[in-house]
Amino acid sequence: MKNITFFATLTLALLLTFTSCEDFLEKAPMDKVSTDGTLTEADAVAMVNAAYQPLQWPKLYNMRMWTTDIMAGNSVVGANGGTDGIETSDLANFTASSANAAAVDIWRGPNPGILRCNLVLQEIPQLDIDEALKNRLLGEAYFLRAHYNFILVRVFGDVPLSLTPALPGSDLSQKRKPQEEVYRQILKDTQAAIELLPAKSEYGNSDLGRASKDAALAMMAKIKLTLASTNILQGDFYTSVINLCDSVTALGYDLALYNYADNFDARIDNNPESLFEVQYDGDPSEDFWGNANRSSWLSTFMGPRNSGLVAGGWGWNQPTQEFVDAYEEGDLRKDITIFYEGGPSFDGKDYDPSWSGTGYNVRKFLAPFSVSYEYNTNPANFVVYRYADVLLMKAEALNELGRTNEAEEPLNMVRDRAGLAPIEDQTQDQMRELIIHERRMELAFEGHRWFDLVRIQDGAYAVNFFKSIGKQNVTRDRLLFPIPQEEIDDNPQMTQNKGY
Amino acid sequence: MKIRGLGTINDSNPLVVIDGVPTDLGLNALNPNDIETVDVLKDASATAIYGARGANGVVMITTKRGTKGESQISFSSNFSVQEAIGMPTLLNATQYAQLNNDMLQNAGMTTNPDWTDPTALGKGTDWMGELIDLAPMQNYSLSYSGGSDNSTYYVSGSVFDQEGLVRNTKFRRYTFQFNKDAQVKEWIKFSNQLTVSHDIKSQGDYDIMATMRALPTQSLYFDDGSWSGPEGPVEWVGGIRNPIGTTEKNTQETKGYNVLGNISAEISLFKGLKFKTLGGIDFKSWYGSSFSPAYAWKPIAVETSFKHQSANKSLTYLWDNYFTYDQSFGNHTVNAMGGISAQTNQFDFMSGSVNTFLRDENNQLDNGLKIQSLNGNASEWSLLSYIGRINYTFANKYLVTATVRRDGSSRFGENNKWGLFPSFSGAWRISEESWFPDFYLLNDLKARVGYGVTGNQNIGNYEFAAIYDMGTYMFNGNPVSTLVANRMPNPGIMWEEVEQMNVGVDLTMFNQRLMLSLDGYVKNTNNMLVPMAVPISTGYSDHDVPNINAGQMSNKGVELSLTTHILRGAFDWTTSVNTTLNKNEIVDLNSDSPMYQNSIENSNISIQSVNHPMNSFYGFVVDGIFQNPQEVSNSAVQIVGGTAPGDIRFKDLNNDGIINDQDRTYIGNPNPSIIYSMNNRLAWKGFDLEIFLHGHAGNDIYNANRMTLEGMKVSENQSTAVLNRWTPGHTNTSMPRAIYDDPNKNTRASNRYIEDGSYLRLKNVSLGYSIPKELLNRFDIGEARIYLSAQNLATITGYSGIDPEVGINGIDYGAYPLTRTYSIGLNLNF
Repeated sequence: MKNITFFATLTLALLLTFTSCEDFLEKAPMDKVSTDGTLTEADAVAMVNAAYQPLQWPKLYNMRMWTTDIMAGNSVVGANGGTDGIETSDLANFTASSANAAAVDIWRGPNPGILRCNLVLQEIPQLDIDEALKNRLLGEAYFLRAHYNFILVRVFGDVPLSLTPALPGSDLSQKRKPQEEVYRQILKDTQAAIELLPAKSEYGNSDLGRASKDAALAMMAKIKLTLASTNILQGDFYTSVINLCDSVTALGYDLALYNYADNFDARIDNNPESLFEVQYDGDPSEDFWGNANRSSWLSTFMGPRNSGLVAGGWGWNQPTQEFVDAYEEGDLRKDITIFYEGGPSFDGKDYDPSWSGTGYNVRKFLAPFSVSYEYNTNPANFVVYRYADVLLMKAEALNELGRTNEAEEPLNMVRDRAGLAPIEDQTQDQMRELIIHERRMELAFEGHRWFDLVRIQDGAYAVNFFKSIGKQNVTRDRLLFPIPQEEIDDNPQMTQNKGY
Repeated sequence: MKIRGLGTINDSNPLVVIDGVPTDLGLNALNPNDIETVDVLKDASATAIYGARGANGVVMITTKRGTKGESQISFSSNFSVQEAIGMPTLLNATQYAQLNNDMLQNAGMTTNPDWTDPTALGKGTDWMGELIDLAPMQNYSLSYSGGSDNSTYYVSGSVFDQEGLVRNTKFRRYTFQFNKDAQVKEWIKFSNQLTVSHDIKSQGDYDIMATMRALPTQSLYFDDGSWSGPEGPVEWVGGIRNPIGTTEKNTQETKGYNVLGNISAEISLFKGLKFKTLGGIDFKSWYGSSFSPAYAWKPIAVETSFKHQSANKSLTYLWDNYFTYDQSFGNHTVNAMGGISAQTNQFDFMSGSVNTFLRDENNQLDNGLKIQSLNGNASEWSLLSYIGRINYTFANKYLVTATVRRDGSSRFGENNKWGLFPSFSGAWRISEESWFPDFYLLNDLKARVGYGVTGNQNIGNYEFAAIYDMGTYMFNGNPVSTLVANRMPNPGIMWEEVEQMNVGVDLTMFNQRLMLSLDGYVKNTNNMLVPMAVPISTGYSDHDVPNINAGQMSNKGVELSLTTHILRGAFDWTTSVNTTLNKNEIVDLNSDSPMYQNSIENSNISIQSVNHPMNSFYGFVVDGIFQNPQEVSNSAVQIVGGTAPGDIRFKDLNNDGIINDQDRTYIGNPNPSIIYSMNNRLAWKGFDLEIFLHGHAGNDIYNANRMTLEGMKVSENQSTAVLNRWTPGHTNTSMPRAIYDDPNKNTRASNRYIEDGSYLRLKNVSLGYSIPKELLNRFDIGEARIYLSAQNLATITGYSGIDPEVGINGIDYGAYPLTRTYSIGLNLNF
């Protein structure tokens, strides 16, 4: 019976060990950072870096922003005949419903970006870090928050306006705020960014690609041009646009020095003409379809089908005849921008128009095999703002203020680089059309055309244009996207746009 | 397998316990011949012993053990043929070309000039026929068992080999079982169970849905013998990569290694008091690898050869320590237990991929030119439980059990780790009372009552923690770290509680000829763990969401189990019937607004809403087909500019003249109101026949596969149901017209896809013959039985999909054929 006493004691000891050992149940994630600890300077920078990531997603610049050119009538989807292009066709034909996948994407893109900016703006001001760095980080967050809201407000109209991160346990349902209020905040944020951010030339090599004063000024010009051509807010916006564009020029820009094709060359990052670009490095380690993907989708998606010209070659984005016909004779940008029968060869191969339903493909963004050997290895950055756009914005503002003669100079700088004769002695109305045309050709497939069409004459221009190219379903209401059904389902405060 | 309706929106699978060790090892890892008994514990008092993980019921599996003095060798073998059934019939080349012409014409697009006479195309390629075929399956197992006065043993080994219905799929499993009990000293007994298994699963790169969608107008090979692919305008030839080619060229393999084992010691301390300690492990590791060569696939080539490999490891430790006490004093019998149980799991994995190989056959990771990815991660959970239980029986008439347990889980935050879960049950054997008459009509009568609460913690490991993910962005080509708030944290998350009440009666009648159990139950799930509805506008992920404790769900039901011994004697016939009537309802959601779930093509199909059954279907309501332009213009606007005769008219439920999200409503209930099964055993001389039937009734299925196979909106093959489509010459139909891109959204989530899911299935029939002992004795064989059996022989159902046995949410999405199996087998005992 000695044994029994021994075991009874042992057992009791074991029980006591367990009872005292309640940290047995303390398990914390091993691959994630808990928010309980204090943030270091490196953490603060990493939080700001995170705010850039949504730009990189297919929900924004890797796909849904450039597919707006398909909606704008520059091109058709192409794609593979399966369901994957239907959402873009539906938007382009103005038959989208609230279940439209592209609308869900472009709603899912900016909102996480805004949250990340709000976390930065909440956490970083009280951190004890280098003051100059802190200002820059805050400037980057203001820039990005404005940028994301600017996308949302143009695509959806009235949207919720978050200035602080949503907290668990609080009411997560937000009401839409009138566009005026959203724009006022966008103006405020962008102004803060202009004041806080260093110029692009002040960034070291390894920080090139961060938001700069140059980018903030260009964005502000674009915001004000949008406000000037719509009736959302009142103000002397055209004059500001001219001043903002001049401020960009004053930072040391000269279009004559820059090569048009460099903007789209996968081997050239952050070239001198670019003011802001979304960064990729072509690392294939992450899931190509996921948010963490680091490769540009453009060449893969836009390569002609069955052509063997580039890795991927999924045939998206086929320019229409109407678009191709819009090129003036001798426009040097045509051979860079599109493929057509008899055009220059690519990577030693000739183009075959049977690769496309329209007989044309987009060439601008294609990366040859020597640059991207697989569908998921393209390191090309995506240029969001560049100097030619700034010049054309200035020309438009000058013309709208009746200073049509002065508008010639910035317009002709762009035309000159394209190998086209200068424009002279036009009426204001003629000049307006010429500038719109120039924007279309200069910035083709870069995701500008749709946003230009819907702002000019507060959307009336778009309706007329779409009817003229045979898109009869267009209405003013349909220039805004539907609010995704999934948002309305989860957010009882959310309302649908008119006409959906 | 669901027990007593759905307990929760979350994982509601019951806990599987093999020889006392809770495991997430599938039953697949076990040789069925090693199983002695399977018990299903349903009511709360019974499952209380497994508390934290037993809220959805417990399946207890006990493996075979040796018997003292009876040495035995058993051999069994089984050979089967599997057949795919239930697959939809698809259009042949002629029919497809007609559809494609129709679809493009309706959209004002150019049709394929090669298809002006579709009949010239004949039948074309039968892609599914190429992918799926009859497949053999075989199983062999050998065991020996026995025992002496102080120890018993059971040892077995088996090989199971299966070829899949799908071309190039194979599965093979080896198992070993070793069970031993040893009374080493008078006061201590050791027992061990050990299950070791290894399985290999290999397959090509197949996609049944893509195979069904491949065009019959495309040949299997190009003229040069290479795998064909679509070439030409996509609206004619589609864009699907040759689905048979990928099953041949690309390979995948998973190898699993599993060990499930425990050692226990039972020590007799003094009269009636014992102490038992049990240490167990549940170890799983699996290695995956896949290889795809570079190939000039059309329309999109694969430029580089690619290899991916992964190693995963999951190890769960269990340590139980219990005191038990059994004692009888006259009419009083007491049996009590108390102790603790601790369990912890660690999971980790590593995976990597490389690309560009010099030679496809030398495709080790070392051989690749470029490293593409390298990943790895780890996670942990733990559970700690204290339990006390007492059974008291008086004179075999009154039986009472009370249990209380305190469970702690690492999955909850600081203040919510612990939950307290009591349970109680009582029974009265009325037939034992002295006043109870002794007559043949009623031999035994027992009334039962039970109540109990169990906890559920089936959620992610770290949902309470406020956490930042780490990621990568890059500036000017230089990668930088990012710190990302992705998932909304829920620091207040706590135990879900399942409260069950149970009243039942057991009857035995007509001299044991009829046995009946009748139970009524109420199962309320409180603080139900449900995925949080996070609006996208918050910026947090709306997919990767935490669970929240929301509301209450109720299941009420009646269970009837009736066994009748219809005939006794030379011809023996027993029938047992099990029926459950269940009603499921969400009682409260802690929120005024419902939760929408299960999004397909960006439309939520399911809704969780108060006073409605869980996972109710939600969507638009079909109101016939537009027959002429007047009907289109007189009706509510479906899609501006998108509607024409032949399209579906959806109901304008709120009469606002436009069809939009407000016109969705409740369109179906996926929860069966009745589940039934029936088993018949017949025996005559050496023959035995078993017939098992099973079915559901009263539930709806959302047949989402039809969204793809009857969409008629893209250049992909469709099921023959679309032959009935609307055309100006064929207007009396519910199938809309074919039109490229579907501008009217005829394929939107609607009751078009809701079907009655009721069915009755002949699940198993087996006929066996035991060879007479006299004959066997001459060959020193103890027992020999040969049998023929068939599974899924017949199903009575109105459901048009592959198989009415769909998952809990009632959505049939993703196609795999139902398998009918014919087997022949032999069991021998020496």
